Amino acid sequence: MPDSGIGAAVKRREDFRFITGRGRYVDDINRPGQLYASFVRAPIAHANVRGIDTAEAEKAPGVVAVFTGEDLEADGVGSLPCGWVVTDKHGEPHKAPPHWPLVRGKVRYVGDHVAVVIAETLAQARDAAELVEVDYEDLDPVVDLAQAGEGAQLHDEAPGNLCYDWELGDKAAVDAAFEQAAHVTKLDLVNNRLIPNAMEPRAAIGEYDVGSDSYTIYSTSQNPHLLRLILCAFVLNLPEHKVRVVAPDVGGGFGSKIYAYAEETVCTWASKKLNGKPVKWTAERSESFLSDAHGRDHVTHAELAMDAEGKFLALKVDTKANLGAYLSSFATAVPTYLYATLLAGQYATPAVHCNVRGYFTSTAPVDAYRGAGRPEATYVIERIVEVAARDMKMDPAELRRKNFIQPDQFPYQTPVALVYDIGDYEPTLDKALEMIGYRDFAQRRAESEARGKLRGIGFSAYIEACGIAPSAVVGSLGAGVGLWESAQVRFNPTGSVSVFTGAHSHGQGHETTFAQLVSEKLGVPYEQIDIVHGDTGQIPMGMGTYGSRSLAVGGSAIVKACDKIVEKGKKIAAHLMEASVDDIEFDGGQFKVAGTDKAKGIGEIAFTAYVPHNYPEGVEPGLDETAFYDPLNFTYPAGVHIAEVEVDPDTGETKIVDWVAVDDFGKVLNPMIVEGQVHGGIAQGVGQALLESAVYDDSGQLVTGSYMDYTMPRADDFCEFRVGMTVSECTHNPLGVKGCGEAGAIAAPAALMNAITDALGAEIDMPATREKVWRHAQAKLKAAAE
Amino acid sequence: MQMTGEYRIEAPRDKVWAALNDPEVLKASIPGCEEMQQTGDDSFEAKVRAKVGPVSARFAGAVKLSDINPPESYTISGEGKGGAAGFASGGAKVRLAEVDGGATQLHYEVDAKVGGKLAQLGSRLIDSTAKKMADQFFANFATTVAGQAPEGGTATGGAEPPKPEAAAPAPAAEPTPEQQAEMQEKAMQGAAPGHVAPSDAPAESMDEVKRRATEASTKAVETVRSQKSMSPIVWIVGVIAIVAILWAVFAL
Repeated sequence: MPDSGIGAAVKRREDFRFITGRGRYVDDINRPGQLYASFVRAPIAHANVRGIDTAEAEKAPGVVAVFTGEDLEADGVGSLPCGWVVTDKHGEPHKAPPHWPLVRGKVRYVGDHVAVVIAETLAQARDAAELVEVDYEDLDPVVDLAQAGEGAQLHDEAPGNLCYDWELGDKAAVDAAFEQAAHVTKLDLVNNRLIPNAMEPRAAIGEYDVGSDSYTIYSTSQNPHLLRLILCAFVLNLPEHKVRVVAPDVGGGFGSKIYAYAEETVCTWASKKLNGKPVKWTAERSESFLSDAHGRDHVTHAELAMDAEGKFLALKVDTKANLGAYLSSFATAVPTYLYATLLAGQYATPAVHCNVRGYFTSTAPVDAYRGAGRPEATYVIERIVEVAARDMKMDPAELRRKNFIQPDQFPYQTPVALVYDIGDYEPTLDKALEMIGYRDFAQRRAESEARGKLRGIGFSAYIEACGIAPSAVVGSLGAGVGLWESAQVRFNPTGSVSVFTGAHSHGQGHETTFAQLVSEKLGVPYEQIDIVHGDTGQIPMGMGTYGSRSLAVGGSAIVKACDKIVEKGKKIAAHLMEASVDDIEFDGGQFKVAGTDKAKGIGEIAFTAYVPHNYPEGVEPGLDETAFYDPLNFTYPAGVHIAEVEVDPDTGETKIVDWVAVDDFGKVLNPMIVEGQVHGGIAQGVGQALLESAVYDDSGQLVTGSYMDYTMPRADDFCEFRVGMTVSECTHNPLGVKGCGEAGAIAAPAALMNAITDALGAEIDMPATREKVWRHAQAKLKAAAE
Repeated sequence: MQMTGEYRIEAPRDKVWAALNDPEVLKASIPGCEEMQQTGDDSFEAKVRAKVGPVSARFAGAVKLSDINPPESYTISGEGKGGAAGFASGGAKVRLAEVDGGATQLHYEVDAKVGGKLAQLGSRLIDSTAKKMADQFFANFATTVAGQAPEGGTATGGAEPPKPEAAAPAPAAEPTPEQQAEMQEKAMQGAAPGHVAPSDAPAESMDEVKRRATEASTKAVETVRSQKSMSPIVWIVGVIAIVAILWAVFAL
């Protein structure tokens, strides 16, 4: 195995600064003369704002300004846009009510932005924010998703609070298949709402420079160029070339830092209003709970039709998706194109139909969260398949095997739009079964029962579409942006390499993996390669990191840029060695003349490119290449997770006793980082299944607004995860990679809930809290005793 | 938040009703109350310094009264603001019933909602702390009305041990007839608005006591009728508790 190239388990180089407290996050940045912003947030879920009295706040010590929606309106500040137009089943675009950075006349969720106080110190800003008097006229909130269509009206633009009624798939074919069915399994599911809880809260500094009439925005963004595009083109009407967005070290995003939020918008606008004083805002954890975009939140009814042998004939799914009070940047796409398109799973189900109604409610906006639509899809398929196996008294592994798409069927056109390029599902299942010791499960269950415990096993054979995405495809589906990626590979004259990537690392380890990739491609020592990201002033236009796309799309762009470097290097080398360009071969950092022992190292070629005293005619100096890569298809990582649990009927504790994850991510660059991503993903999925749930009470108050009530998973909630790999390389990107960042979070909830419901012999919704588990475990014991 | 409770107060219903309407009695009874003002025909405002754990904070609440049916029942509703802490709003139905031994049974049902950071951070603790604060209030109040000054905020004398949510709390120790008579006497003395008779007050002639008591209760009932108002105690206590929790949560 190589020391530092592709396939090497190189330790993450960025961890030195993170672990030793030397990371530089937005809140670590302090600009001369900066002011501090504190937002006045709605304490009521739904109310008309009859008036905002800022007089007392303005008089408070240190206060420089208090702004409300009227001030932004007077300056022509626009609405925060949703970047994906979903066309409903009647051919109409989704309802797109405005989302003002500071409210105009109405608040729609607890935490909504009513006003901003800007002061010389943070304490002064917070104190003065308490003095802003808001006159509210209470309106009924819309809290319950299942009843969202019948309650009060949140937006005039969206009657019945319906954003869209959308469908995918052939309904007639599905209905026909159900008529033929020997057995139909039905299941009602709730996919609980989650709060992302990145370790670093969101933060922003807006700084306007009067002299150059330009802006610098420091932001905790997963995609600085995208933020710049949205703010310039849609919200603040700024010239893009006069705006630089810097997203330095970012402490986790999980999707929640993709979007353009009110806070960075207001800080940027206010800095100009205040004649170039930088304006800084850092979220308190309480604000993160209230106003970071939340995830999931579906209510679903699903039915699976089978023949007498358990062959899947058709799947129909009806989902209500909570979009929150306003549309976040990509909110519309998550429960539609990132969800229903995955409902074929790993199975050759001939017909699938999905109907999705997206509703506005008086809750925080909901958008992509690690997995984004795909965990919800996997949860529906893998839960109903497991229940079907129980209904049919079939082995759940064998029922899956019976319905897998077969290797000779690839590329496989699913009934829900996607074309899977490659996959090999059976070997993955077999490996997982072997690793978990499936044959001996009955014995382990008996042993548990002898100790008074209930043991269960659960499967999740997930698939996801990532490496988002072919621009033309997403464009035809309504996306407002292209989803290519950029890379610039720059040799410095002394032979070191600076790589500029449009992808953004906020925990993924790009600085390590991308350096491994470039080291492998160019034969430059790993230590001499630096990865630069997160600054629109330095990097070419890029689309950022989400949807497990960084390596599949961003890495492919780096490969293309490296290819260009080699191509140019060959011309220089041919000149230096007086050979034909066609005879030059490049391998391991050496340009060689084929069939001879003549060679020039790439370092010397780079030096020559910058000191071109002896240089080929017609070739530009410099060795600095930029490439853009637009993928041809999504990538389709898939795998099988098996969870084994032991429930203590006395305490309701669910102990995860074993977990096997066998994933097919295509080619793997750094197995250690991949394993870490799988572990993190499973942890997040376990959090959703066991502990986490965002709860609004009847009046729309978020009652899980702190870590006292919103339970995050901890190390002792897990077992040692055992990770295995199978490999079928992606057919359409130059690396053969698929993406691994979300798989764990996609696979885990279904695996764990299948295991718990297996142990209990009863259906329960997530999160499987101790109380719920205890009640069902007691009921099971009582029933057994009778 | 929903909270119900019952308290037995060793004083006749008219006296209890009057005392509930006496800002001074209330001020003495609400733990940490600094100000108690009548702001309109049917409204009160209170400023209270509440302490929970290591934190103390000042908070303001205002309420309005409705369905006033002296001396039996009324409904109060209103809103309390704790600044950045959030708000609480809601109402309470309070009933006074005459019971054996010339005492009064006070029953209340609170239905309040809290918002902002109160709900976000304190929801888990609201019920229990509000009950604790309510218990403390009624202990003080019962003591005062029954004729003994509160001593350091702890329940003494005629106060029943508070029994929230108990349908009919059994007296912990039934007073003897002699004790009851003594308590009633003290209660009469204590019912005078603004005058809380200490237990060691100089003895007065029985006639004088009766005269003053009659005068006081008449005055009190008249006040109630003219002002159509009554104290927001129950509700305020709940709100105080909530705000206090919030502050405690914040400080931690």
